[in-house]
Amino acid sequence: MKLSSVQMDAMQELGNIGAAHAATTLSQMLSSPVEMSVPRITVVDISQLADHMGEESAAFVVFELQGEIPHGGYIIFYISKKSAVHLTNTMLGLTDPDRPLNEMDESALIEVGNIMASAFLDATAELLGFIMLPSPPALTIDMAHAAIQTLVAQMQEEINEVLLFSTELVCEEHKVDSDIIMLPESTTLTTLIERLENLMKSGP
Amino acid sequence: MIGIGEFHVGTEPMMAIGLGSCIGLTIYDKDRHIGAMVHIMLPDSSGRSDRPGKYADTAIPLLLAKLTEAGCHKASLVAKMAGGACMFEYFGNNLNIGERNAQQVRAILAANHLRLAAEEVGGKAGRTVSFFPGESGKVTVRSADGAAHEI
Repeated sequence: MKLSSVQMDAMQELGNIGAAHAATTLSQMLSSPVEMSVPRITVVDISQLADHMGEESAAFVVFELQGEIPHGGYIIFYISKKSAVHLTNTMLGLTDPDRPLNEMDESALIEVGNIMASAFLDATAELLGFIMLPSPPALTIDMAHAAIQTLVAQMQEEINEVLLFSTELVCEEHKVDSDIIMLPESTTLTTLIERLENLMKSGP
Repeated sequence: MIGIGEFHVGTEPMMAIGLGSCIGLTIYDKDRHIGAMVHIMLPDSSGRSDRPGKYADTAIPLLLAKLTEAGCHKASLVAKMAGGACMFEYFGNNLNIGERNAQQVRAILAANHLRLAAEEVGGKAGRTVSFFPGESGKVTVRSADGAAHEI
């Protein structure tokens, strides 16, 4: 699916609003400022996926998008393994940045992922009246490409190109660098864009 | 480096990184020292022909045809595969694509009378697979936190 520049702008605005909610929440959890990037919309051929997500170890907290569209794609809280340790250290009051991640960290990451995904989806529901509910979370801490590849393979629609809709959230004080990534099915994307266009038409 | 749905035939080292539910399949000619590798994503093409390397049912005949073109004989070909993991338990209940990929590769290899000499499939962890046709067709597998080992 090709997006026009107006549609790209509209999606970016949606990302801004969704991620702003998530950033505020993360900032409260870490008690320090969190910066967010301009949302990126990248269309990637599956054969080139490794250029965007390689062998690096990262945590993926994954939710299927449910609700109005039953299998609408995925929303992912993505954080490099290094950043994940910094994040859970801050949350759990620990200091060693080189320790391995344990069960407690996994629970903490799932919890953060839950809150981030919900904040993001709440914002889109509020803005567009389009209800996307997160499924129960699934966590993996592994090679980034392997995780994203597995999700792409199990999408409803057979695709050769993947649309990655991502916004970076960075907390400099605690060296936490994370992303909220949406991997929408084309039905979800079409609905999002329709609603956004209607919103702009009826705008103030 | 072989991306999803891509394949390569030759004598130089080849690699498929970060296999989750995907399969890295290698076929090596032990007489001619030529190899082929493909990065399979799904079990069935359901008639699609635009990317034969993406599906188990079309990828194996494709590699076989390319190796035959290069002068290889079926009797000297040996296959190995790795990948087919189930990384997300919650989503894996009804839809274990990794396992279905591995089963389909075994079935299509058997249907084409190709020998599967080694496999490392399943589990929950991602894998990177390297293939060295120049070193007697050596295949190594590495996980995110592990060292490479030969299969």
